[in-house]
Amino acid sequence: MSKPNNILTKFKNMPVDGMTKTLFVAITLCLVCSMVVSFAAVNLKEIQEVNKAVDKQKNILQVAGLYYDGIDVEKAFSSFQPIVVDLNQGKFTNRFDPLTFDDRKAAQDPQLSISLKEDPASIGRRTNFATVYLLKKEDGSLDKVILPIHGYGLWSTLYGFIALEKNGNDIFGLQFYQHAETPGLGAEVDNPKWKAQWKGKKINNDSGELMITVAKTQKYKDHHIDALAGATLTSNGVDNLVKFWMGEAGFKKFLTNLQNGAA
Amino acid sequence: MSQTRKQLLTDPLVDNNPITLQVLGICSALAVTSSLNVAFVMSLAVIAVCGFSSLFISFLRHYIPNSIRIIVQMVIIASLVILVDQIIKAYAYEISKTLSVFVGLIITNCIVMGRAEAFAMKNKPFESFVDGVGNGLGYSLLLMSVGVIRELFGSGSLFGIMIFEPVSNGGWYVPNGLLLLPPSAFFIIGFIIWGVRTWKKSQVEAREYKIQTLEEH
Amino acid sequence: MSLRNYFHSMEPHFEKGGKYEKYYPIFEMVETIFFTSNTVTKVAPHARSFVDMKRVMTYVVISTIPCVLWALYNTGLQTNSALATVGIESQSGWRISLLQFIGLGISPESLVSNVFHGLLYFLPIYLTTLIAGGICEVTFATIRGHEVNEGFLVSSMLFALTLPASTPLWQVALGIAFGVVVGKEVFGGTGKNFLNPALTGRAFLYFAYPAYMSGDSIWTPVDGYSGATSLGIAAAEGYESLSNYGITWADAFFGTIQGSLGETSTLACAIGLVFLLLTKIANYRMVVGCLLGMIIFSSFLNWVGSDTNPMFSMPWYWHLVIGSYAFGLVFMVTEPVSGSHTNLGRYIYGALIGFMVVMIRVLNPAFPEGMMLAILFGNIFAPLIDHFVVMANIKRRTKFNVQTQ
Repeated sequence: MSKPNNILTKFKNMPVDGMTKTLFVAITLCLVCSMVVSFAAVNLKEIQEVNKAVDKQKNILQVAGLYYDGIDVEKAFSSFQPIVVDLNQGKFTNRFDPLTFDDRKAAQDPQLSISLKEDPASIGRRTNFATVYLLKKEDGSLDKVILPIHGYGLWSTLYGFIALEKNGNDIFGLQFYQHAETPGLGAEVDNPKWKAQWKGKKINNDSGELMITVAKTQKYKDHHIDALAGATLTSNGVDNLVKFWMGEAGFKKFLTNLQNGAA
Repeated sequence: MSQTRKQLLTDPLVDNNPITLQVLGICSALAVTSSLNVAFVMSLAVIAVCGFSSLFISFLRHYIPNSIRIIVQMVIIASLVILVDQIIKAYAYEISKTLSVFVGLIITNCIVMGRAEAFAMKNKPFESFVDGVGNGLGYSLLLMSVGVIRELFGSGSLFGIMIFEPVSNGGWYVPNGLLLLPPSAFFIIGFIIWGVRTWKKSQVEAREYKIQTLEEH
Repeated sequence: MSLRNYFHSMEPHFEKGGKYEKYYPIFEMVETIFFTSNTVTKVAPHARSFVDMKRVMTYVVISTIPCVLWALYNTGLQTNSALATVGIESQSGWRISLLQFIGLGISPESLVSNVFHGLLYFLPIYLTTLIAGGICEVTFATIRGHEVNEGFLVSSMLFALTLPASTPLWQVALGIAFGVVVGKEVFGGTGKNFLNPALTGRAFLYFAYPAYMSGDSIWTPVDGYSGATSLGIAAAEGYESLSNYGITWADAFFGTIQGSLGETSTLACAIGLVFLLLTKIANYRMVVGCLLGMIIFSSFLNWVGSDTNPMFSMPWYWHLVIGSYAFGLVFMVTEPVSGSHTNLGRYIYGALIGFMVVMIRVLNPAFPEGMMLAILFGNIFAPLIDHFVVMANIKRRTKFNVQTQ
């Protein structure tokens, strides 16, 4: 018998509970399992990334009122132009690729965000760069602007988009795609009836003051959204976050520039 | 299929249901049952993990050193769970968002570990596989029952299809918000256990004590 | 044949081995309405005096009478006032038609009109509670073979009083059914419930149908009329601004404010409390504990203060009169079964509830009212508190014995 066979037989005859076999089983198992897991992760990564992108695109289509069941999301989304905006300057920037830029990650990065002193939306840090989506008409002119917004409600941060008409003042729609508010109360932010109220409301009045308000009692018809029944704190949260993102610290500069063609 | 194998598959459905009799795996049953779509995918995930982990562990049962037995089981289960998680993320993205951490938590699901340790370590691969799938099915049966109640009465729909038109959409049904909150699953599972034990008296546990009456003193 | 003999002649049919053995609980229920039962208690709760279970429960029902009367008057008053503001033309409904038909009108100045209008809201809710809860109670009694207990009369009365006047009747039925079954019967019936059944039902409705149990438009059953409860106002703007809404401390004390049917008047609750204390149904230790817990913790929060949360500065005498604190204190905290059973434990139990109610009202943004949750919380801890009190007693006594030996 040759030598390697001897080792093999010797190994075979070792007790299962012995040190050598224990180590052998542990190492082999780890190797096999890690190979299986990484193989799956690498192979499926591409599909997962596409899913993620499609999901975001779907939300944008929804807020722009273009989504219906069975729509080809990617094709429909091609009429949108994603572009990164420098919030401090209020101008477009091509420092980042809008397709890969992650607003949420940027908000955690001290280089790319600022810590807020006045923080009505309770978000802690605000990103300096945000990805906005411009919906173009067939002739290439601007139709709608979709802006990302988020802020704290009662239990959770609400993430969503607000769609504005090309004048940058009339609201077309508002939609939250992620939140964990109380079902039946705060979670009614998803109620189509409530969301329908936003359409046609104006953010600023004629003299440019920020007027849009979510409140129980109506003060100004054009700027008023009814608060959700029984969900004061979620309503306040939405009120605060919309005011914040539409205000000076948010997209106001950008929207003004967009009107003047200076963006 | 022989009688015993069939029993391995059907016993965990009612007679030896992992949730109603053994009261295992409650955590995920609370978390993922507010919508049927999610409960359904979770069920498939648990059936797959439970079945295949039992299969693999049973294959290896003679080679697993006793001292690292639990770790070996955990590694196999964890790998399977990651695999399942990746597949769900790739092919059912919408649902993976709501399932989020709960797929990962299948690793700690007592049912999977329990079957591996109690059955697969002592039985042949095929039997172990059937047993794993059976227990996964038992778990699923309960998950789906709770899901039907919670989604139907909590949102007025089944699998996302509107059955009772809610008042907020101009219908007549007032959705029961409690059912959308995780604690409601406790009540429902409690009621189901009550029902099952009324039907199958043999599942009733013996009393630990009895309040004495005067005559007995 | 006298009634008594009639019952006696029927009794054998219902006793063990009789034709209608199954329906004994129903027979017993009807018989004991007329005559005192011959049997003595076999299981807890035991009464140690001539006051039997039935009398205990009757006393509690009697003690709610001031609250009931006030509920009738105030519900009518709030509704009539709101109708005067909103305008009667916009409203429809059988109650208004009936009131106008019999010539009472809907003037908020008229006492009779107020009480009658209130009655038209209270009675349907109360009757629904009795019928729906009664069906559950009798069904369980029949299947389980225990007696239908008078405790249900108390639970149903308290449950009805804690609801807003605008509660839909199907919700009333669902709530009390849940309260009776989950709060009481699954644990073995009266005397074995560790939660207060009325509050369990109320909590069920609160979480199941939040839009009907909280908010501004539900407290007064008039379409298009919206008015926050005093707690809601205090949470949003601070208790000082209550006066801007025309609510003074005296209003809150007497109860001419919006709120659930029977919970608005602290005075009515206080009268009930005096009656319960005099008859020794309520244990004063729980009341003292609950008051102290609330006063001390709210004063502490006054001292801590907060710029952003106006509830911090609300003094204890306001906590006492607004929301359902007084009602809960008198009728729920003192409930003997679900509370602690040791004397020291009763102080601790009360104080825990007093502490929790302020905690929830002030620090939890989601729930303006904390009494219901605080009491349920206390109920859950009551057995634990008893356990530690008993253990401490045993320890002390063993030590004492060792020393004397």
